[in-house]
Amino acid sequence: MKAIYAFGLLILLAFLGSRLIVRRKTLSPLHFIFLSGLLYIFLGLYLGKHGLNILSPQVLDALTPLISLGLGWIGFLFGFQFEAKYLRRFSKKSFALSLLQSTFVFFLVFAVLFIVVRKLYPGQPHHLLYGMALSFGLLATVNSPTLLNAASFALPSRGEYSYLARFLTSVSGFWGIMGLAVLFSFWHFPFFDSQIILVGSVLLLVSTVVPIMLGYLFYLSTKKKTPEQDVLVYLLGFVFFVSGAAFYFNMSPLYVSMVMGITFSNLTRIHEKLYPLLLAAEKPLYIVFLILIGALWEFKFDLTIALLILAFLGSRALGYVSPLTSFRFLLRFPFPLPLLFGFSFLSFGGIGVAFAVSLKLTYQTDLMEIFLSIALISIIVSDFFSPWLLKVSLVKLESEERS
Amino acid sequence: MITLVVIFLLMLLLKTSAFFPFANPEKGTSFALGFILIFAFLFGKRINRIKLPQITGFILAGILCGPFILKFLSADQVSDLQLFDGLALSLIALTAGGEMAFGRLKAQIRSISALVIFQTLIIIPGFLVFGFLGRKFFPFFSDLTIVQTAAVSLLLGTLATATSPATTIAIITETKSKGKYTDLVLSVAVVKDFIVIVLFALFISLSKPVFSPDQGFDARFFFQILREVGGSVLLGIVVGGGIILYLRYIRREMTVFVLSVAFFTYQISHSYGYHPLLICLVAGFIVENFSPHGDRFIQAIGKTSLPVYVVFFAISGASLDLDALRSSWVLALICVFWRTVLKFFGTYAGASLAKEERGVRLYSWAGFISQAGVSLGLAILVEKTFPEWQGVFLSLVLAIIAINQIIGPVLLQKLLIRVQEVGKKQLSLY
Repeated sequence: MKAIYAFGLLILLAFLGSRLIVRRKTLSPLHFIFLSGLLYIFLGLYLGKHGLNILSPQVLDALTPLISLGLGWIGFLFGFQFEAKYLRRFSKKSFALSLLQSTFVFFLVFAVLFIVVRKLYPGQPHHLLYGMALSFGLLATVNSPTLLNAASFALPSRGEYSYLARFLTSVSGFWGIMGLAVLFSFWHFPFFDSQIILVGSVLLLVSTVVPIMLGYLFYLSTKKKTPEQDVLVYLLGFVFFVSGAAFYFNMSPLYVSMVMGITFSNLTRIHEKLYPLLLAAEKPLYIVFLILIGALWEFKFDLTIALLILAFLGSRALGYVSPLTSFRFLLRFPFPLPLLFGFSFLSFGGIGVAFAVSLKLTYQTDLMEIFLSIALISIIVSDFFSPWLLKVSLVKLESEERS
Repeated sequence: MITLVVIFLLMLLLKTSAFFPFANPEKGTSFALGFILIFAFLFGKRINRIKLPQITGFILAGILCGPFILKFLSADQVSDLQLFDGLALSLIALTAGGEMAFGRLKAQIRSISALVIFQTLIIIPGFLVFGFLGRKFFPFFSDLTIVQTAAVSLLLGTLATATSPATTIAIITETKSKGKYTDLVLSVAVVKDFIVIVLFALFISLSKPVFSPDQGFDARFFFQILREVGGSVLLGIVVGGGIILYLRYIRREMTVFVLSVAFFTYQISHSYGYHPLLICLVAGFIVENFSPHGDRFIQAIGKTSLPVYVVFFAISGASLDLDALRSSWVLALICVFWRTVLKFFGTYAGASLAKEERGVRLYSWAGFISQAGVSLGLAILVEKTFPEWQGVFLSLVLAIIAINQIIGPVLLQKLLIRVQEVGKKQLSLY
């Protein structure tokens, strides 16, 4: 009976989605939550052990490969967009700005969160608190272009600011995922006591070389004329394999599949054939992924968590907004970067969820359970308010630019 | 070929003890599934070059990498992957149901009924004869009384009647076959599944007092299985109706919807003991025949069919119990041979009565050899009902299924090529 009820719920959600996700002239927070798919996290939460228990821990265990595939898919898609000929269109200054922004946000959030978690969890071992703060720092660097794409109709001129914002939100995840790879290699779970530099370097090397090799094999397999169904199996197979291997060795599935995506994207000539396939499979996989994440989520909320959410979102917003003027002078950027511009970067999107989940699944400690709760709540809150923040930042800046 | 070899070597390397300290064996299922997906697919493509069906390659790859040979997939991992197996089976059954257009069935109703009836009427008594003859040669039969031998033979014969609709639809999809033989083989396989389950319910109820004389005729099993079959059909109608409504009013996210149908069907059947295969067959049939959306629905499933087949048949291969095959291969081989002979005569007699052409009479038996899920599920039920048989019956049936599942797809493919119903492009490959 519960299963039938849950099925009905899923259909209802799809029905509401089909009515709400139509092109509108305004982008409301609720509309964006539907559009970004984050609502499916709540559905998963309801289907999980704290709700209907249809996605019970046993079922979730059996479905773990789908979570691994979801992470791999997001990483692969992310890497696939890094095609050299496309990236050459952007100036070096834009890349430098992206790196500076991510580095600054990472260090600021890491420092603030380390101080806060040390105060809030005094009994926990130091290395675990470091790990948690590092995780927050890395998560903070991620943002997504989904909101900008969804709100493109609301941007008056699509001028320099929106062009730059789209670039920065698309690229920022790269630095975060690189950081994730370093963290997973040198802070490998189960933790090693000795030869950490050697072990970490070897793991980092393996997690870079193997996906490059697999990306090349993927290219070789699809180099000749290949039917679409075969390409889909290769795609699923390679992404599954590489993310599964990363999962098995406690490496970052996002990183390895991103590297494979970059390798493949720069070798293949079947982008036009692959994009429809990727897009057709993306949404279903993403929705299933979010439902599973919701079911996996041990929802926790208390004063400590509320404080951590505030510290995380506050320091992150500060990290994106405060240094923009200094960056402009440092890089001699051709146009002003007002503080308001920083509010365009606060939406996390699906990659934020993937980021948080990959950290939680690798470092299976109680603190990481709390981390996941904070991360997911922060992502939902942030994405809920980001359409409004976009309105007061980018839309306003573009209006001024046009006038 | 390079990709196949490199992937294989990479897996060998990553599974060596040098990497053990860094690995987390609890998370090995995704890795194993990823490997088997790509390896089985590539292996299937190689097998295809020697003019055998791809799914034979998927099954062989599963056997090779499974818990009995290379152990890339452990027994626990294979068991963890049963959910994917169930999902894949539901999707395959939806496709099979969706292929059963009433208009085409009506034209062949006489042949379908004749083939189903005669196969059943010849194979079950044929196995009764086999059981009595086997009493002299095989210890399993010689330890039984005459009535017990009859009971075991009836169960074995019922299982031998079954043909796997999943394998049939997979071969039809792979070869892009269309035509009279294709429709006939698929329809007979599907209808027989219903008959086999009902007959099985009857025979298992009759067998119970034979082995436990203190018990009378146990109608409980019979009614329980009838309830399961009836419930599955009803549920299939409800699911089919739900799919039609969705296709009419929502239409969005078809892939998520189809996956959800498969998942919830699997969950419901798991919880209440219904048959996911029957539910999905009926649901697919309802959508195809009672709405104008059948084609769109089949298209939505078709988009994911190849990965689904790879996963399903590779896991099926990995699940085949080679220990069982090793322990009872002689008897199993004889059973397979005898079953094939009986299938030939059953098909010939049925086709003759239906006044079918010579080709159907002589060759269509080759389409009914494959065996998989339903036979396996029923054999496990026998084992649970008669624990005193200590796994001997199950081992024998597992061994028979293993052999039939390897030769069945090849024979069906050869049949479809011979009668020239495979797609033009595929015909040039073979």
